[in-house]
Amino acid sequence: MNATLPLVGRAIREIVRTPDALFPTLFIPIFFLVVNTGQAAKIFPSDDTGFLAGQGYGAFQLPTTLLLAASFGMAALFLVEEIEEGYFDKLRATPIPRAAIVLGRLGAEGVKCVGIAVLIVLIALPFGIEIASGVPGFVLLIALTAGWGVVYGGFLQIVALKTRSAAATNSAGMIFFPLLFLTPNLVPRELLTEPMEVAATLNPVTYLMEALRSLILHDLDWGDVLPGFGVVAGLGVVMLVLNVRVVNRYD
Amino acid sequence: MSDNAAVEARGLVKHYTSREGTVEAVRGVDLSVRAGEVFGFLGPNGAGKSTTVRMLTTLLSTTAGEAHVAGVDVVRDPDEARRKIGVALQEAGLDPRQTGRELLVLQGRLFGMTPAESGQRAQELIELVELTDAADRRIKGYSGGMKRRLDLASALVHQPEVLFLDEPTTGLDPASRLTVWDEMRRINARGTTVFLTTQYLEEADQLCDRLAIIDGGRIVREGTPGELKRELRERTGSDTEPTLDDVFLDATGRTRERAAGEVQEVVG
Repeated sequence: MNATLPLVGRAIREIVRTPDALFPTLFIPIFFLVVNTGQAAKIFPSDDTGFLAGQGYGAFQLPTTLLLAASFGMAALFLVEEIEEGYFDKLRATPIPRAAIVLGRLGAEGVKCVGIAVLIVLIALPFGIEIASGVPGFVLLIALTAGWGVVYGGFLQIVALKTRSAAATNSAGMIFFPLLFLTPNLVPRELLTEPMEVAATLNPVTYLMEALRSLILHDLDWGDVLPGFGVVAGLGVVMLVLNVRVVNRYD
Repeated sequence: MSDNAAVEARGLVKHYTSREGTVEAVRGVDLSVRAGEVFGFLGPNGAGKSTTVRMLTTLLSTTAGEAHVAGVDVVRDPDEARRKIGVALQEAGLDPRQTGRELLVLQGRLFGMTPAESGQRAQELIELVELTDAADRRIKGYSGGMKRRLDLASALVHQPEVLFLDEPTTGLDPASRLTVWDEMRRINARGTTVFLTTQYLEEADQLCDRLAIIDGGRIVREGTPGELKRELRERTGSDTEPTLDDVFLDATGRTRERAAGEVQEVVG
């Protein structure tokens, strides 16, 4: 932990000093929120659409926005840059646990996702979107979003370490789009066609999205929320183990 | 392994295996660097210099052989070896988004210093490499010479016993090169062993107590610059004192014409 915290601090400074890289992280998810809500809000009026639990369609779309924002992992691209410029070797030449090297950037990615998620929710509130589960639900919503940001950042970091290529890392980032759209992102799972429902059920992002949605639309219900945290915890452990393995074998 | 050797390698080998086959980058290097000396490691491009340095600094796995730095086995105890060595690689390994001071403070923290100790050490080094005015500016705005000096400073944060410098003056203008030479002499005068790889023979002649020439992954000459020149003069019966360039060309089997041709190819 002694080495991880200074590395987290360094990576946070890097994010803060690259505000232009934050622009798409914020703009694209909000763009999708506005467009999707604008296109479907009349089809699903809040008064007689049961799955909206009395809120507007924007509240139903908010989880997609949060997950999309958390999936713009900057950490891996900064890592590729660092490998190309030689600073990564400088870090590897220090006597710190290899896990600290990977956790530094992932920790900063988590902090960045907390900031972005809070900002998106604050932007959404004036448009009538409420967090029905209250303050505890809001905290869980932010934590879950940030957790996913760390997991996805971990995946991209593995690609960056293995390929050492910005182009390959960027391409790998595109995998989130099929993951995001093979979920109940527009309607609840029970309203999907059968093949889509099967695909969504097999997709771990579905449980994350349903957990986030539950926190926004309903009172706190751990039965809905825990699967989302389970997905983040499980994939988080896998990503951490793989990251450490790759950095240990890095030549 | 010798007791007073700062760096010692025996039968060091590195092979790279790919679909195209196996490349033998280093083919059994034996080296012994005494504590307190400036040791030059010379060789043409692709001879295995950087590969050897990367193995000695724990950045690259070894295929075979053993290496000790400051008495520590770099393969068996890499973390302990890292505590004893400073590394400034071919490209100044710096984070352009940090300031010089932030980079040095971070480096200190990674070597186990408290924030206060690290801040104090950073200030000492900033003064040592004469970067006081630029210390709180972001590194991306530094000149090549400033980056080199900062890279040197960052390699010295934890007061290493052995400092590895991989082509530290490549790409620098003559004035910056002389500044880096001065830094190297100052560091060595404080008792740090310097392991220097360079392609500039004049640099090796000026700075190194002893040197080794590597070619094709093997050490082909080793000794003081004076010994190597004397040996060549005696062997060839030359009337004039050979230069280190002559020693290098003789050791690597290159002729001046071939070397000039290689340079022209690169330039063209």
